[in-house]
Amino acid sequence: MNAPVAADLAFLSMTEAADAFAAGEVTATALAEACLARIAAQDGVVNSVIRLDSGAALEAAAAADAARRAGRRLGKLAGVPMMHKDMYYRAGKVSSCGSRIRRDFRPAATATVLERLDAAGAVDMGTLNMAEFAQNPTGHNRHFGDCHNPWSPAYCTGGSSSGSGAGVAARFFYAALGSDTGGSIRLPATLCGVTGLKPTQTRVSRAGVMPLSFSCDNVGPLVRTARDAARFLAVTAGQDPRDPTSAREAVPDYEAALTGDIRGMRIAVCETWFLEGADAPVVAAFEAALDALRARGAVVTRIAVPSLRAINAYTALVSRVEGAAIHANWMREHPGDYAIHLSARLYGGYAFPAHLYVEALSRRGSLLRQFVTEALTGHDLVATPTLRTRVPTLAETDIDADPANWSRFMAVSANTRPFNYLGLPAISVPCGFDDRGLPIGLQLAGRPFAEATVLRAADAFQQETGWHRKAPAL
Amino acid sequence: MEPDQVTIEAITRWGGIVLPNKAARIGLADNAALIAELEALRGTMGFEEEPSGFDAALRDCKEPSR
Repeated sequence: MNAPVAADLAFLSMTEAADAFAAGEVTATALAEACLARIAAQDGVVNSVIRLDSGAALEAAAAADAARRAGRRLGKLAGVPMMHKDMYYRAGKVSSCGSRIRRDFRPAATATVLERLDAAGAVDMGTLNMAEFAQNPTGHNRHFGDCHNPWSPAYCTGGSSSGSGAGVAARFFYAALGSDTGGSIRLPATLCGVTGLKPTQTRVSRAGVMPLSFSCDNVGPLVRTARDAARFLAVTAGQDPRDPTSAREAVPDYEAALTGDIRGMRIAVCETWFLEGADAPVVAAFEAALDALRARGAVVTRIAVPSLRAINAYTALVSRVEGAAIHANWMREHPGDYAIHLSARLYGGYAFPAHLYVEALSRRGSLLRQFVTEALTGHDLVATPTLRTRVPTLAETDIDADPANWSRFMAVSANTRPFNYLGLPAISVPCGFDDRGLPIGLQLAGRPFAEATVLRAADAFQQETGWHRKAPAL
Repeated sequence: MEPDQVTIEAITRWGGIVLPNKAARIGLADNAALIAELEALRGTMGFEEEPSGFDAALRDCKEPSR
């Protein structure tokens, strides 16, 4: 293999960059410099970065280069520049959570997931823009400025991991942590044309991560390929003594599952909910994606899922009540420090009766069993469009400017939310573009802890189609 | 639908949280859609009487061994 030339380096996938570094084909310093040059040239348009630690990143890259020259053992992500949503705590560093309220918050301890990435040799370049307290699905932020879609700046990036999706798409870094409580990894992945994985609930430690909804929060990556997601998950997943809710399930070799072979894999398409009111370009891209999966040997069937109605009602209850509880003190003492759209959204959560919240939690296990019976008995995966509509503009989803935009704003996460209540793993991969050149995403969800199956299908799809290789012309 | 003033006052009384802005009235009114959904489910759902932990369901619903 020839050494990649400098101009190409930022366009490598995460695993390509990691493998090139491990093979001695590129230095970590060259990778970091390529990313920093892209950020310097283009982030004025995208606004994905909150804090850029250029000096520290170059020092860490130089240390990785020295370690390789010395023949020391390298981690799976050695030398790879990353940035993360500004809600992953690093001891002593400001973690704003995209808010005014926590603009100067310096946590005492580092998130377990950051410690695991550090141990794998990843180069941390700083923190990323996000929805305020991870509480919107669009990418608006009144305190750090809205994040702009790199495919067309007037359009939403998706949220709440807006900077993570936009920056990976813009080739500013190779991977980014997002968080997903109702779609906050998968939505920016689909709106920005990258790959985003929400793991099974409890799969990845949440220690040192800003909470939004204790029941539905998940930690996961935004990257360029399913293979990237597989390696990233292998590094970050697994039981953590600091997070008593983290699962004790063994972490498999996810990359070994990426055989490209999905012959006989059974994929269900729910005829209810996920396609209701979907825009024509989205339906067309989704059907073409199903054809691509069939071309690799998958068997696609249409099914009805009666439990979805209850699942959706309870999903809204749980996440909004928990969000309201977490923010109660600040809503009482600093309501004016929130953006209008956030305080307005939180406020509704204080009106829910407690007995319904308890009921929603009590039914969660049985509804998961019911959904699995209805949708995943006889099927390996469920496929849906990640977003039912074409990508909306920032203006038409801006509640602060016009509260009448409320329903459009809330509709963005309709297809992603159910999998948070159910706790199931789900991935979004690019599957086409609409008539305005904005990306469309395919969502694949599987049984609990079936990330290997989800990733295998997503990887086979990417081998078949190549949509994930498209990059915006900034 | 204009939200009930009683609800606004109850939120203040229970939590000390006041209506923060005009958009919050829309946020509160938006609860009507969820109330309608829950109303439609009445009689079919309810508190789960038997022990049914979510973590146990996650483990039980894993992929069958291949």
